[in-house]
Amino acid sequence: MVLPTAISFVCGVILRLALFRSSLPDWLSTKTEVVTPLTSWGRAMEGLALHREGISPYSGDIFHESPLMLKILGFISRFSPNTINLIFVLLDIIQGMILLRIANTFGRHMLLRQATSVKNYHPDAKKNLLRKEDLMDLQFYVTVAFSFNPYSIATCLARSTAVFNNIILLLALYQMLKGNSFLSAVFVALAAYISMYPIILCVPVAVHYFLMSRKGGMHYTDPTAVVSYLQILGVTFVSLAIMLLFSMLFVGSWEFIPSTYGFILGVPDLTPNLGLFWYFFTEMFEHFRTFFICVFQINVVIYTIPLAIRLREHPTFLFYMLLYTIGIFKSYPGYGDVGLMFALLPLWKHVYQYMRNTFVTVCMFLVCTVFAPIQYYLWIYAGSANANFYFAISLAFSTAQILMATDLLFGFLKREFYLHNGDKHKLPDGTDAQIILDS
Amino acid sequence: MPGRRWITTIISLGHAAQTFLITINSKVQHYHLFPKSLGDVLTTYKVKELHLSQTQGLWKHEKWGYPPEDAPPGDELWVWFQPHSGVDQTWADLVNALSGLFCASLNFMDSKSTVQPRWSFRPAGLASEFYSANSRFVRYSTLPREVVCTENLTPWKKLLPCGSKIGLASLLNSVKIYDGFYHSLGVHVRSVCQDTQCLTPATELKQTLTVVYDPTTNKNGKQDWSFQSMFDRTLQSQCPLADTRKIYVDVTTQETLPKFSLSPVPDFVLNQKRSGEERKIAVYQIGNHLSPSSLNLKAMYEEKLTFSNSSLPPVYANRFVTGYGLERGGVTCMIYNTMSSNTTVIFMETVPWFLRVYFSSLRIENDGKEIKPYKINFIPAKDRANPYQMELVFRLFANSVTKITYSFERAFLKWTEYPPDANHGFYVSSAVVSTVLPVASQYTATSQSVSLLEESFSDSSSSFFLRLHTETLLVSLPTPDFSMPYNVICLACTVVAIAFGSLHNLTTRDFTASDPSKRKGLVAKLKSFFKKEKESPENKPDSKEEEIPSQKDKDNSKSEEKDSKKKDGNSET
Repeated sequence: MVLPTAISFVCGVILRLALFRSSLPDWLSTKTEVVTPLTSWGRAMEGLALHREGISPYSGDIFHESPLMLKILGFISRFSPNTINLIFVLLDIIQGMILLRIANTFGRHMLLRQATSVKNYHPDAKKNLLRKEDLMDLQFYVTVAFSFNPYSIATCLARSTAVFNNIILLLALYQMLKGNSFLSAVFVALAAYISMYPIILCVPVAVHYFLMSRKGGMHYTDPTAVVSYLQILGVTFVSLAIMLLFSMLFVGSWEFIPSTYGFILGVPDLTPNLGLFWYFFTEMFEHFRTFFICVFQINVVIYTIPLAIRLREHPTFLFYMLLYTIGIFKSYPGYGDVGLMFALLPLWKHVYQYMRNTFVTVCMFLVCTVFAPIQYYLWIYAGSANANFYFAISLAFSTAQILMATDLLFGFLKREFYLHNGDKHKLPDGTDAQIILDS
Repeated sequence: MPGRRWITTIISLGHAAQTFLITINSKVQHYHLFPKSLGDVLTTYKVKELHLSQTQGLWKHEKWGYPPEDAPPGDELWVWFQPHSGVDQTWADLVNALSGLFCASLNFMDSKSTVQPRWSFRPAGLASEFYSANSRFVRYSTLPREVVCTENLTPWKKLLPCGSKIGLASLLNSVKIYDGFYHSLGVHVRSVCQDTQCLTPATELKQTLTVVYDPTTNKNGKQDWSFQSMFDRTLQSQCPLADTRKIYVDVTTQETLPKFSLSPVPDFVLNQKRSGEERKIAVYQIGNHLSPSSLNLKAMYEEKLTFSNSSLPPVYANRFVTGYGLERGGVTCMIYNTMSSNTTVIFMETVPWFLRVYFSSLRIENDGKEIKPYKINFIPAKDRANPYQMELVFRLFANSVTKITYSFERAFLKWTEYPPDANHGFYVSSAVVSTVLPVASQYTATSQSVSLLEESFSDSSSSFFLRLHTETLLVSLPTPDFSMPYNVICLACTVVAIAFGSLHNLTTRDFTASDPSKRKGLVAKLKSFFKKEKESPENKPDSKEEEIPSQKDKDNSKSEEKDSKKKDGNSET
């Protein structure tokens, strides 16, 4: 499996390099589905130009990156445009390498977990167990999913700064799978520093840490368990505080906070994108604006608690589901988040057979991806459509992502049910019983 | 010493400009001639200098030269305050008071359109060096969308000492004035020296009205004009409160083509020399011409109008929007220098916050070569708080065109922030070009150091301050669908509910195996609910043995309804 993996990886790199030579990068960097006010390279360059002139980039409302990103982007922007393109391809290569390692470690991690919990399984479930042979080709599928994923390619070509966010999230996942929970918590804090919402990922890291160090039949609410959660949370928040302090020292004041976190929370910029926020708050009555901002922001993070309780035995899947909720409901979503979701999807290919809506979901994704730039063009340039067309596409795209997330969760839970209870359920009279969700 | 003057200039072939200038000098708080309404406002809000102009139309510099007072289309207000704290609040109160005084929507000049220019709008009157270098006390704002009409002329006339019944102001017929190409009302208050020793400052109020007519219409191509044809009235009286009551007609071109003659004959003809430029001014003392009948000043041309190229002014500018689509665009300003010497200009722009200007795209080019400005003052905008402010100081090379370009991105506003006609577009204020000219060609303004027009006829200065305003811009923004608020809220909340419902189901419920035949359809469930209430004590031991009946999951309820209806009777026993 090494050769096909290597070939697909190299093909992905060559594809990105080839596409950088075309006019696609310039077109993509203007597309609002790919770049948002938070991740746009053009805006980052504008902030750097102001910074070089001696004007604080946070005094205006164009630049919304955190000070650490300001420094990194300042370093990158000093090179020539061709070198900058190469740097973005290099960042994608790094992302691909981390994904390979994740696929590798994930396989081993799943086999270990399975070995410890196989005693709880139903005897009939033996054929549903994961085998080493199945997990060997995980690397290949993950590489293919990342290299030829149009969303990841678009994010790379548009020079969106979401690649940094994705790399840090993947590093957090990797360290979590390897067992370095404290390092994973530090990466979660770094991701939260850059885009705020990943702070909720400290919950799966804490649960994973507890599960790794669990002895005997310790329950989730035991005092020692709570102590371990607090350790992880403490590491996360302390690292975040240190990063904020360094940023304050770099910028010289706290003025970057309203421009970065205040911007993410308050959503003042209503640039169209594939999310739910922009048109909703365009057409919102002023009187209710604060209320609905609070509702929508709570909606992003609220799913942590029920998902954590339901998926307490599977913190990696919880991590992945939380990536979904962040990517769908955040205030300025883009293709960077979607690309990350698709790149990690092959890790759960053993769940695919239990999913119900794959055809509908794939069709919705294809249609929305093709239609979005067309409707945007018709509205903004041709003048023959209006904002509702693009809004419809954004609703359909969000629905497609939601269907994929909930279908995956459904399939996962159903597989767990079959593992624990066997897959043959017969009624007293010999006919097949139905498996339904019930309270 | 109030003075009234009237200047008539033929500014270009085919157009006649009339400027009506009234200057009042008075001691502070001495309301003998100074209008009390304006004086009260000035003292309450600690105003040191005030310049308000209300203009309709665009002054074409390349055809008409320079007006006595340059003004942008719409309303422009710039004020220097006495040093005190809380200038922002004072400014907000002042614009509200002025909007009532002048019947204009000056109250819209809030923080979203107000800037503090650093170099472009220094005090025009007495001010110390330290005070004028500090831009803390100056505020500048424009309303390019504002329309000027009779409602604005009336309060302007009310400020005059003699009102509008006698004197030159009686000529101002609003029907005729607002028929012209361009009309501009101006109110300028500044501090000047009271006498040559300059021990105490006095407040000077200068009111100007500039109108541009086209006298050739309806005249068989001849550009004859008279008071009767321009204002539908003749001058019948003079204001007794005025010290100087004169009419000036620029007759520099009287002997050359096109030849014209004035009637009645002027009292005398002055020569105005200004840095090499000579002009001949015919002077009329109004008092000499009022009896026996009213004064109807006429100019009669010998031949019909023939158009030819006029000479270009030393510095003029053009500005326009570039690009297509509703996403982004650019602004280009071309500044022309027709003199044979270099000159330095200060270029000021105020751009509203919703056109996000990219500072990295700002370029100044001359003939393809990039020019680096001497100084740049760029203050980026904060959304819904303050506008973009840009001031550039750079050099204009002789006999060349300098091009200033920058690009912007159009923002998407909230639906309540669009004006009633959303697709009309949004206006961007004029850019201001300030420079000092070494020659006074086509320059008609009074010099800054004097109050009266006559004093500038023997002007020996070698530098002339010039301020130009460019065109305003009209930019369209992408609009949402204004009829959709409820629909949008419902649809977006539906998508959130899909996620919430599915995740809620999956996290709060467990999988169980159940008998599909035991599941009931909706009708049967309702029936069993009512029956259970009647038979509850009897059914309790039975219900424990049965499979757990499903209550809420309707996924398969419709398909099983037929089956369950058949087995209804069986399942309830």
